[in-house]
Amino acid sequence: MIGSHPFQDRQRSVTASERDPKQVLALLAEQKLSLELSTLDLCFMTLLALKAEQLNLSAFGEEQLGDAFEQVCLALEPETENVKARATHALRRLRDQRLLARVDGAGVRRAGEYALTRLATGIVDFYVHSEPLTRESLTLLSRTLMLSLAEILSAAREARDPETWQARVIAPLRITVSDLVRGIEARQRGLDLEQEDFQRRISQLLSADWFGSIEQCQELLESTASTLRELNEVLLRSSHELQALLQDLLGVVTADDAGTDPDNERERAVLHVVEQVDRIGAWGQSRQQAWTEYYEYVHRYLQDVVRFDPARALTERLKKLLLAREGRASSLTLARAPALGGLREVKPPENPPPVRRPKRETEAEPEDRPVAPDPDQLMTERLEALLAEGVTELSERTQRMTEGLPESERFVAAGRIAKLLARITRPLARGERPWVAVDQNLAIEQWQVPEKRSV
Amino acid sequence: METGRVIDDLGAAVMDESFPEVDLALRRGRHIDRDDATWYAFLLDAQAVLETFYRRFGCELVHKSDGYFYLLPVTDQLGKRQLSVPEMLVGQALALLYLDPRTVQSGGVVTRDDVLAHLAGVMGTDGLMRALNPKKRRLDERVAQETVRARVAEGLRKLASSGFIELLEGDSLRLRSALMRFAEPVRGSEAPAEALAKLVAKGEVMLEPEFDADPDADQDFASESPDAPAPESAPEARVPFDDHDDLPWDEPDPGTPTDEEHE
Repeated sequence: MIGSHPFQDRQRSVTASERDPKQVLALLAEQKLSLELSTLDLCFMTLLALKAEQLNLSAFGEEQLGDAFEQVCLALEPETENVKARATHALRRLRDQRLLARVDGAGVRRAGEYALTRLATGIVDFYVHSEPLTRESLTLLSRTLMLSLAEILSAAREARDPETWQARVIAPLRITVSDLVRGIEARQRGLDLEQEDFQRRISQLLSADWFGSIEQCQELLESTASTLRELNEVLLRSSHELQALLQDLLGVVTADDAGTDPDNERERAVLHVVEQVDRIGAWGQSRQQAWTEYYEYVHRYLQDVVRFDPARALTERLKKLLLAREGRASSLTLARAPALGGLREVKPPENPPPVRRPKRETEAEPEDRPVAPDPDQLMTERLEALLAEGVTELSERTQRMTEGLPESERFVAAGRIAKLLARITRPLARGERPWVAVDQNLAIEQWQVPEKRSV
Repeated sequence: METGRVIDDLGAAVMDESFPEVDLALRRGRHIDRDDATWYAFLLDAQAVLETFYRRFGCELVHKSDGYFYLLPVTDQLGKRQLSVPEMLVGQALALLYLDPRTVQSGGVVTRDDVLAHLAGVMGTDGLMRALNPKKRRLDERVAQETVRARVAEGLRKLASSGFIELLEGDSLRLRSALMRFAEPVRGSEAPAEALAKLVAKGEVMLEPEFDADPDADQDFASESPDAPAPESAPEARVPFDDHDDLPWDEPDPGTPTDEEHE
């Protein structure tokens, strides 16, 4: 349902074309606006609008509203009961949706007076008073528009203070001129609807009376074509003249705009009208184009299809063919030349280099290393040193020379010690050479050597 | 539509700026009608010399009174193709829509749904599914309908590349006068069989079309119209569960062995 007007606070400063769509949608969504109207409601509103027009009524009393609702009920739903209760509900629905407004301001002191809102009259106008654009209405409206713009232009040339600008230039541009342009646009929309109806009528005429409707269809086509042509001519001429006036006005506005209009309000007001006039001109061109295409299509259809088949037998025969075996067993032949081969210029690849093994230095430079001492020599020197100390038993020498070695090397070292010792001296010959333990795991035959070197 | 000039010299026709595109389009089986305003006007102007020119390639440059040109191969010199069964069915349905006065309201613009609905209306849903699933003995309704939609979409795409229709934005398409070729067998007063025999003799029509004629047409036409939608994969590839569904839509005759029994 419609609540308070979402743009009430903004309308003064923000023109329609400057509204941000996102902002507008957000406001509408926030207000949760919706309209819900039954045929009965629409008819009730329409009856009120018609009565107001015929009887020159600016508002309706509650009794008048009740009578009008009863009339509508009698016409649409004669068996309705509790008409008064339903009227009360209908009035509340319309007021909730801001279609009907109380205008007397008397509150509870007396019964109220109500009038249709702009929203309601807009809806009624759409259904009842939709007036398509005609040559006469367009000429009249565009002339009035030109007169208004000429007046505004002369006022702008004379305006010296901001109040005069506001009263004699900006306000007339925003209200008088915009309303006139909107009047033309509303009639353009009316003509669009008429075109749609007209296309439906041609289709219905052909469906109803195939060959017999050719002349009627052609008359309809011609009349609409001439109407559109005339309208387009008027639109073209008028929009040129209007644009020239608006350009002059824009020139005056920008020339005088020496700091007295910091918000560029005057320029924006003129540019808004320029946009509207552009839109009117563009409408004429696009409709003319669309109509030309449609006109040609229908003419071809009448010529190629309807005139060639006055009895409208082709459709039936084609349907039968589609269902028959012959129809499915046949196939149209089409040309199908192979695509032209566009040869590319091929650059042959260069010969690859011969396969080679990468060169590698096979001989490394000899490394200088110190010469390792002869282990036998070392061991001999050690034995001689022990001999000089007076150690005469092999077991003691072996123990002292192998005590720093790992377990696994001791056995080999013991053998070498015995061998080298035998070289440098001669063990004493004895009847018995007992076996003695050098350490836990090694036992050797005990030799005694003389203290003095034998060699 | 004619420009008033008559091109009576082949050299002048070939040098015309429209010639390369028109020539390529005709050779690829494209129909050129009054909506192709510049090409059509050129063909009207140079019709006499181009007829002689294409005859040397074993083709006839045909101009129909409905307002369209096309190249009809009489020999195999240039190459030719047959419309597939789905293309023929869709083409005939489109021709019916072209003749329908209701399409006059929209200026010859219909939707894909209209085409499917019209086909189903004329042939019946079962008939349509059988016609577009000819190799199936048992049809699953959902799969068969999906196959129908895929084949119709493929048919529309190919017919658009041949100039029978124009694909518009969204789901809409514009019917073109070349669709009347599909009505040729029934336009005269003679019986359709006789008319078909004459068309076969002229080389306009071939009998017993293959179900999937022109399997490689995608490649040919892809280069012709860059704006055309990207080629879709073969319809079979896009149809799920194409073979051996376990949801029998209709039972085979009791005496007929099923696929499983054959296996």
